[in-house]
Amino acid sequence: MMDEETLALFRSEAEGLIESLEARLLTLQTRPTDRELIDGVFRDLHTLKGSGAMFGRTDIAGFLHDFESAFEAVRSGSFAVDDELIMISLAARDHVAALLAADGGAGSGEEAILQRLAAHLKGGPVADGADAGEWMLRFYLPPDTLTLGGRPDLALQELRDLGATRTRALINEIPPFDELDPLNLHLGWEVALPGSVSEDDIRAVFLFHEQGLRLEMEKAEAPEDAATVDAVPVADHKPEEGARSPRSGQALMRVPAERLDDMMDRVGELVIAEARLIEIAGRSGDPALVAVAEDIQRLASAMRDTTMSIRMTPIGTIAGRFRRLAHDLSDRLGRPIAFTISGEETELDKTVVERLTEPLMHIVRNAADHGLEPAQERCAMGKPACGTIHLSARYSGAEVLISLSDDGRGINRDAVRARAIERGLLPEGAEPDDATLFDLIFAPGFSTTDEVSDLSGRGVGMDVVRRTIEDLRGTIEVQSEPGHGATITLRLPLTLAIIDGLLVETAKERFVIPLAAVDEIVELPEALAAEGAGNAFLDIRDSLVPFLRLRRILDSPGQAGAYQKVVVVTSSEGRVGIVVDRIIGSHQTVIKQLSPLHAGVKAFSGATILGDGTVSLILDVAQLVQRGRTMSDNGRQAA
Amino acid sequence: MTRTVLVVDDSASVRQMIANTLKGAGYAVLTANDGREALDRTRGQRLDAVITDQNMPNLDGIGFCRAFRAQPGNQGVPVVFLSTESETSIKEKAREAGAIGWMVKPFDQQKLLSVMARVVGP
Amino acid sequence: MTLRKDATTTDVVTFRLSGEVLAVPASLLREVLEPVDIARVPGAPEFVSSLINVRGTVVPLADLRVPLRMPRDEIGAGARIMVLDLPLEGQDAVVGIYADSVHEVTRLDAATMEAIPTVGSRWPPRFVAYVGRWSGAFVTIPDLPTIFADYLASQQSRPSSGASGAITQSEAEPV
Repeated sequence: MMDEETLALFRSEAEGLIESLEARLLTLQTRPTDRELIDGVFRDLHTLKGSGAMFGRTDIAGFLHDFESAFEAVRSGSFAVDDELIMISLAARDHVAALLAADGGAGSGEEAILQRLAAHLKGGPVADGADAGEWMLRFYLPPDTLTLGGRPDLALQELRDLGATRTRALINEIPPFDELDPLNLHLGWEVALPGSVSEDDIRAVFLFHEQGLRLEMEKAEAPEDAATVDAVPVADHKPEEGARSPRSGQALMRVPAERLDDMMDRVGELVIAEARLIEIAGRSGDPALVAVAEDIQRLASAMRDTTMSIRMTPIGTIAGRFRRLAHDLSDRLGRPIAFTISGEETELDKTVVERLTEPLMHIVRNAADHGLEPAQERCAMGKPACGTIHLSARYSGAEVLISLSDDGRGINRDAVRARAIERGLLPEGAEPDDATLFDLIFAPGFSTTDEVSDLSGRGVGMDVVRRTIEDLRGTIEVQSEPGHGATITLRLPLTLAIIDGLLVETAKERFVIPLAAVDEIVELPEALAAEGAGNAFLDIRDSLVPFLRLRRILDSPGQAGAYQKVVVVTSSEGRVGIVVDRIIGSHQTVIKQLSPLHAGVKAFSGATILGDGTVSLILDVAQLVQRGRTMSDNGRQAA
Repeated sequence: MTRTVLVVDDSASVRQMIANTLKGAGYAVLTANDGREALDRTRGQRLDAVITDQNMPNLDGIGFCRAFRAQPGNQGVPVVFLSTESETSIKEKAREAGAIGWMVKPFDQQKLLSVMARVVGP
Repeated sequence: MTLRKDATTTDVVTFRLSGEVLAVPASLLREVLEPVDIARVPGAPEFVSSLINVRGTVVPLADLRVPLRMPRDEIGAGARIMVLDLPLEGQDAVVGIYADSVHEVTRLDAATMEAIPTVGSRWPPRFVAYVGRWSGAFVTIPDLPTIFADYLASQQSRPSSGASGAITQSEAEPV
């Protein structure tokens, strides 16, 4: 047992520390970054805790432990002193004083103080521990708050000190400008707070705003690890870094694919309705309506992103079918064939993956049938007896590149040329370059079933492959090295459903240019404004860019006005300028496929519905760039 | 920047107590005995906040508040009542007169400082 | 789905186009729209030269006067658009067609329906399924599946307008 005298000494020393602590805390409030004060507070807490423990006052020591840690964090610079910390510390100081006076009698409010401290620390940079859900607050302070000297900023600061994670001003009640009274507070706020903050603490923030205050608060449950929906078997889904791939250990849910389609349709409709709403709200000039419209816009675009991410499917999900196909082909053709795949985790919109399956299988059949040589022939050429067909997938900007390569004999130029001439696809005696020649493989009527085995036939020619890829807004490239094999590369957009578009106007008609393809927008020089004036090239920073007049391409009526704009678009093939009358702005574009009735119209990759309900066509950038390239070639020849 | 607070109370001890607490926390403090004196003191004086009692001779808190608000330049200066009364009706009257808040006596220093922090900021 | 030649009776919607009374099977009709904003499809054949928005869906708008070789006066303000469910290439599809005015749903029975006489008609016979009588006048029931199938076939046999092909080349009419 401790003797009375020592205990008395401890008590008096502790009282001194408590006093010193209080004084320092109060000064710290006005000089929150004063190092000496911070060190002093920490020392006081540390000594109180230490001597408390020594004198058997574990209640004091235990209680102060978290405060000591908090100020240690402050000392190390990872946490800042603010009013709330001072308030809590002062409350703690009072509590310790009470504990000391009561000589071990259990003080009340201990839990509340510690919880408040924990909540406060959580809001700051040292936050950790379990999440107890989240408070969502929406409040409008009384309109006369400002007149009465109320300080909304202080209330917000206090909420921040309580650990507010998100704060957003609500502007829906701001009246039109001519009705605006600057003395009235029309703003409201929406604030998210950690669930660990007590309701009392939140209410206390509004202590001076109670009369006329509109406060809604609700507590959302702790967000569980977001449930990941996966529409496909995940057997050979390899984990991948990056946001698209579900983290291991998360629950997966199987969902019928058509529900995802339905969902995407709804989101598409939502985006269109939202565009209308934004337009109507903008015209009305009613800030409340504009605010709601902006909320909807934000939600719709988040909804769009989420829905699209749900629909992303790794290409590896169809790999099994290719392995099986290679196996069957090997069997039937009597040649060993290996099928390999890389980048199988590359994800594409599920519609794209589904529609790609048939064309890819056709290319694999072709490669096995025409590309890969029989084993003896391969051996004679010093190649491994087993032929390989390799599928690779990778991202490239907003596109996905899917290549199918074989290590066979390559495309026989002469045979293709002869066949093309025979089919009337090429004039007699023509000597086209590789790109033009290989392109003919995809021409309707090139591939026939007469000499092809039952494997490649099936009534699907390479023309159907190309059509499918074009329907998917993709392009095909062919490379071939005689004796070493051929590679067919499909270039596809990441998603089909919704793109960001640039809305332009020509002759009062509006068109959409996919924003991903837009490089820059420049003014059309006066000298080139009139049709036929000057050459068809723009000098943009010392490089010549061919340009096309949209009016001309689209056979638009009337004459162009002044100040025409040039939208410079780019693709892997090059750059081309598109002259339009006017740029309207960016537009969330829900792509609607054109009906088969318009399959013959090549200038457009689809259509969309604008905010005012009218239909607008989406320009096919690849087509435009190709036309520009042809112009360049002609230009060079003429020069 | 030092913030200036006017403390209005007819009890010298209460005035003293509030003034000391505020001064300790770094505020500059003016004091007044009652509403009338308070009005005199506020003329031409830039204030950051006022803490006033309700029941005072000559001019009570609500009367002071109303007159204070009527003076040009006093809009937006927060007035907080500190009173033993706590009836809703009188609080509402204070609000109408232009007060932002109401504290009930007795109070402790800590509470006073937290109120001031809410009203005028740190 | 479509008008069958062996049908004994059929419900049709009669409408007027370029001074003639025509009819389509009522089962095809989805709705009738007031004139809406139409979007021109530059480079598209005259038969399907524009698009309309039908409740958030982009729908091609066809002009039957082109394949039926009817005079093409300006479309009047009282015109209507009949939205039809019409399979294209074996897929469900929706197509709009112009009508100067839409009359009523009526029942034509086999007794009043006769195949178009091959001589002396100004209609391309291939495109007329039947001629019937209604309110004492002739009513022509165009063979929509054939009209659209012929058009699609003409599109596919068209030389592919490749990179260098002018988009606005004058199109062969689908007849």
